[in-house]
Amino acid sequence: MLALGAVGLAGALTAAAFVAPERVAAAAATYVPSRPEVVVATVPTRDPDEVAARRSLAAAPERVELAVELARDDVERYRVLSDPRYLGRAQATLARWWKLAEPPPDVLFLRATIEQAVHEFAEARADLDRLVRLRPEDAQAQLTRAVVATVTGDYAAARQSCRAIAGLVSAIVVATCEAPLDAIAGKADEAYARLATLVSATRGGDPGVRGWALTELAELAYMRGDSDAAAAHLRAGLALDGEDAYARNLLADVLMATGRSAEASSLLAGREPIDSHLVRRAIAEHEVHGRDEARLVAAMRERIAAAAERGDRVHLREEARFALAVELDPARALRIARDNWGMQKELADARLLAEAAVAAGDREAAAPVIAWARATGVRDAMLDRSLARLEVTR
Amino acid sequence: MMRAGWLAVAACLLVAAPAWAHKPSDAHLRLDAEGDALTGRLDVAVRDLDGAIGLDGDGNGEITWGELSASAPRIAEYVAQRLAIRADGTPCTERLGSGALTELSDGAYWALPVSARCTHEPRSIEIAYSLLFDIDSMHRGLAHVAGQTVIVRDARPVRVALDDATSFWSFVKEGVWHIWMGTDHILFLLCLILPAVFQRRVQRWSAADSLRDVCREVFEIVTAFTLAHSITLVVSAVGLVTLPSRFVETAIALSVVAAALNNLLRTVDARWAVAFALGLLHGFGFSSVLIDLGLPSRELIGALLGFNLGVELGQAAIVVALLPVLFWIRRTMAYQALLWAGSGAVAIIAMLWSFERFAA
Repeated sequence: MLALGAVGLAGALTAAAFVAPERVAAAAATYVPSRPEVVVATVPTRDPDEVAARRSLAAAPERVELAVELARDDVERYRVLSDPRYLGRAQATLARWWKLAEPPPDVLFLRATIEQAVHEFAEARADLDRLVRLRPEDAQAQLTRAVVATVTGDYAAARQSCRAIAGLVSAIVVATCEAPLDAIAGKADEAYARLATLVSATRGGDPGVRGWALTELAELAYMRGDSDAAAAHLRAGLALDGEDAYARNLLADVLMATGRSAEASSLLAGREPIDSHLVRRAIAEHEVHGRDEARLVAAMRERIAAAAERGDRVHLREEARFALAVELDPARALRIARDNWGMQKELADARLLAEAAVAAGDREAAAPVIAWARATGVRDAMLDRSLARLEVTR
Repeated sequence: MMRAGWLAVAACLLVAAPAWAHKPSDAHLRLDAEGDALTGRLDVAVRDLDGAIGLDGDGNGEITWGELSASAPRIAEYVAQRLAIRADGTPCTERLGSGALTELSDGAYWALPVSARCTHEPRSIEIAYSLLFDIDSMHRGLAHVAGQTVIVRDARPVRVALDDATSFWSFVKEGVWHIWMGTDHILFLLCLILPAVFQRRVQRWSAADSLRDVCREVFEIVTAFTLAHSITLVVSAVGLVTLPSRFVETAIALSVVAAALNNLLRTVDARWAVAFALGLLHGFGFSSVLIDLGLPSRELIGALLGFNLGVELGQAAIVVALLPVLFWIRRTMAYQALLWAGSGAVAIIAMLWSFERFAA
């Protein structure tokens, strides 16, 4: 018996030794291209103005206005290309001021923008609080503060910032700023009616503002359980800006929630380089057993492993969704959704935690979301469905 | 005041969860130690090197192999200035080999062989790595040394102990702990062991005469259980087979019911076979614990061995403590009460667990 046991254990471990290397990031094979003209990497074309500006900054490193300009360009590139290297570049450009308790206001704003992008919400919030004390009429700072405060569940502060810009920006910007706050307070119907009136009254106008308002309108419609209206608003928004990743993701979510996963998959096809698109397309393909399922699932696993390797905790939402829908591992999904809820408290995060708790059959784990829903009075079609399945009475 | 366009754009950027189209910048330094020598490779993204020292000679946005290979001496110089390895505080002499390309999931990397000769066989090494941080604050150096990965976040040196055996023992400890805390595994084992001091002779049951026979039977049961859960622990921890946790947990509870009922109904005499068949289920349960602990991909085998060893030690301790007592009381009413009432109670409790876990 003992001998048999030893043989079995040895056999199993040998099997593990053969399988394990796939999970171990071994050094990849090297190669040398045959011809010198082979292109091995593409990089942004060199911008002579930027080269000149960097040279000036190197010559006079104390020139903060120059550093701010360069960093702002990189943050903008990050926004367009979704490439986090530009965030790191912006931070490096501001290194001289980065660790100061009271950097110049422009640096403060950029620092907060970068911090929130890597989910350092507490740091971002502290910087923005300081900034709006210095410049209460800085609409951009107030809007950013409203968003960061909403993400972390500080609705009073968010409301205060939305109201502070009332005389400075158009009514539609203020309404769009306040809409999610009203919705979370259980007044999605009123918020929807108000914003819809404003959006249809303002034909034309800034397409960026309009797109943002349409996305918010879609969120509200979705909360009210009106998926068709939500999809229509999002399609209108995407017609204005096809590169709006947030609107595209939301549309994919709406489609998947209404059983139109194949449509969601084609909506995201070819856009897999962006993590949040990849995870949704992997789930959609998984649900319809599509042709790309295996490839996308493997790619998503690889991204999760790569993020874990460098200690990133930025993609918890994506990871939890993936664990829930594709890996069919509700225990893991629940663990990640709880960690995520510790960091950010948007409606999407509440939905995720409640859904994971339902799947894992762990009502206790949903307690923070239940408390949040009771405290805010939020009504949301998806969240309410999960809470009903957890037998939560409200 | 800023334009409203930039305003709304900024807000949209903020509302969106980070939609990262690329991995952030990582470089990988792999080193293996043998004697007083370290050998390995440094992989740095070609586009990062372009940012650091400028590889795109004609500035057209395309880096050709010709441009890259012509820059090889400058790359080597850049790395040599920014990478230093020390063995227990004493500098090692580094040598960089000739670079080539390697393809990682996010594009082409320059793979540069790195070797270092130290004055002695290092017990720990310090890596001073300061590539790229000055141009990308979110760059990370990932040093993979002797089965460990250390994340280098800034130019401060990091230390890697080469004789680090703590992780193995921590997994052993977790294994022991899990068996002792995991009521279902203990009850399963107890149900199988309880009747061992009582043996079937021809058609009737009576107390066993020799402790040796009892020990042999218990040994068979424990070995079968070990073998079975080791197999499933391994196949599931490495990802060969994955089962939904609700199914596994329910099945484990049912296995306890089965083991308890077997004591009452005496259906199967060969309890080692029961231990084996149902033990397969328990291995899946162990593996989810192990995965929860954060299974190190690089020391998978060590972690599995350690955890499994811990589980065995934990159950051996229980058996060693219990068996003499059972043998001592085997002819008493107390034993009969324990066997019948105990098994009955376990069957009921485990049945409740099954419902609870299934309904969950």
